[in-house]
Amino acid sequence: MASKSKTPKSLTKEEELLLQDFSRNVSTKSSALFYGNALIVSAVPIWLFWRIHQMDLYQSGILFAVGTIISTYLVALAYKNVKFVLKHKIALKREDAVSREMTKKFADDKRMTKKEKDERILWKKNEVADYEATTFSIFYNNAFYLVLLVIASFYVLRSINPTFNYLCSVGLAAGLLALFSTSTK
Amino acid sequence: MSMDQTFGIIDKIRMKIWLAALAALCMVLSCNGDNARLLASKNILNQYLVEGRDLTVQYSIYNTGGSAALDVNLKDEGFPETDFEVVRGNLNVRWERIAPGTNVTHSVILRPLQYGYFNFTSGEVSYKDSEDATESVSGYTSAPGEGGIVNSKEYDRRFSPHVLDWCVFAVMTLPSLVIPFLLFYRSKSRYDQPKTKKN
Amino acid sequence: MATTSSVVVLCCLFVLPLCVLGDTCLAPEVKTQTYTTTEAVTSTDTVFIIEFTLKCKNSVSNMNLYADIQGKTLPVTRTVTGDKYQVSFSDEHANLPSGSYNIRLFDEEGFAALRKTQRSGEDTGALKPVHTINMNHPGVWKGPFLQSEFVAATVAVFVWYLAYNARSQLQ
Repeated sequence: MASKSKTPKSLTKEEELLLQDFSRNVSTKSSALFYGNALIVSAVPIWLFWRIHQMDLYQSGILFAVGTIISTYLVALAYKNVKFVLKHKIALKREDAVSREMTKKFADDKRMTKKEKDERILWKKNEVADYEATTFSIFYNNAFYLVLLVIASFYVLRSINPTFNYLCSVGLAAGLLALFSTSTK
Repeated sequence: MSMDQTFGIIDKIRMKIWLAALAALCMVLSCNGDNARLLASKNILNQYLVEGRDLTVQYSIYNTGGSAALDVNLKDEGFPETDFEVVRGNLNVRWERIAPGTNVTHSVILRPLQYGYFNFTSGEVSYKDSEDATESVSGYTSAPGEGGIVNSKEYDRRFSPHVLDWCVFAVMTLPSLVIPFLLFYRSKSRYDQPKTKKN
Repeated sequence: MATTSSVVVLCCLFVLPLCVLGDTCLAPEVKTQTYTTTEAVTSTDTVFIIEFTLKCKNSVSNMNLYADIQGKTLPVTRTVTGDKYQVSFSDEHANLPSGSYNIRLFDEEGFAALRKTQRSGEDTGALKPVHTINMNHPGVWKGPFLQSEFVAATVAVFVWYLAYNARSQLQ
């Protein structure tokens, strides 16, 4: 109720708390989603190094596994950071639309108290923001990771031998991704 | 005046050079008699020698002598079967005659079967240096020397375009980009209505 | 004196053609195998190699042949065993573009005629060779116009740019 009457650019204390709570402790479900996605995007470079840099898949198996694990961790970290940053912004943006939709939905429901409705709206807002932030964060970081990887391994480290090229380019791409995710506000 | 003088001097110098050249020619002719003299070179016409890829060896034989070389044989045993496969051309060939002042070239395409350093040795040339020679003269071509044959894997890494591999890579990365974006976009377009709709 | 010289002339007129005829290959049956350079990345020059075997109806073998390719005349190389002939021709990549090439084979007699017409600056096309080999050169591959990693990097940067744009719109 307060959110609507006050300035739309800032969130109320309760909202803030709720959002913070949700974003800081990433639920196991979204954590699994992050790690799953990070694993997929971290494993893709193996193809490039196997087929184009002509590395042996079995000989470098351990290297690939280590690289993928490190990269998965860093990419998942980047997902979380970017999601955290975006969630607030998206919550602000979607605020009106969500409450409008929810109010319309609850308009006929006479039995629901005002407080209950507000709580539902808040919950829905959080859900929408969380969903959009999560999906966008995955999309954005994947795109960024692939750019960094391709440029690192085919331009920056082109002449280095494949083994070092793999370690460095995957490490560089994932590391920079994690770094950028924390630095940008 | 001075122009004419300088021209005169140049003319004199020219004359001298001509005379010297003539004398030298006479010397050569008298030394060689009328016999044929062959110079042979062996070259490899490749920037990179790659395992499993065609390698071109070119032999050029030039007759510097005064008469035609007859029954010219060229033989190269420098390519062992374990290391090279002949794609096209022959390593043991002959020409009936090579006229004086002319050259012939001969090429052979080989395929290295192994990578590593290989010492390219010279081929053998034998010929009769005159019409009535009974024994043939033999000599060697120049030797290209040691050359490194690149591993085909390494070569592929550097030069193959890998179009198919890149396409597969694109297909592999597509879901990880498209799926999250579509999910995001669906939600976004549902809630992100233009401001005019407000109220 | 006059009689001896006329005898010589007569000899030349009748005997020589017979000798030459004996060496002429009748109805040649030619089997060719050709090779042309296809890659410019490794090779510095384009090389044509034409290997062929020649069977004549009048069982003439070990012929001395000359090849005429693009107005250049080269002696045909023979293998030591004598059953195979080889023509090697090489030039810079630019001078030997893709297309079909005719290699005309001449015997000694034809070669002499060829030289004569060449010296007088006439067209040699009218001369009848022993055989003409037609060879197709598919051209040398000079590597891709754009490197695939460049294309990949460009596409990746483009996608990232879109993502970055979308992100700044969210903020």
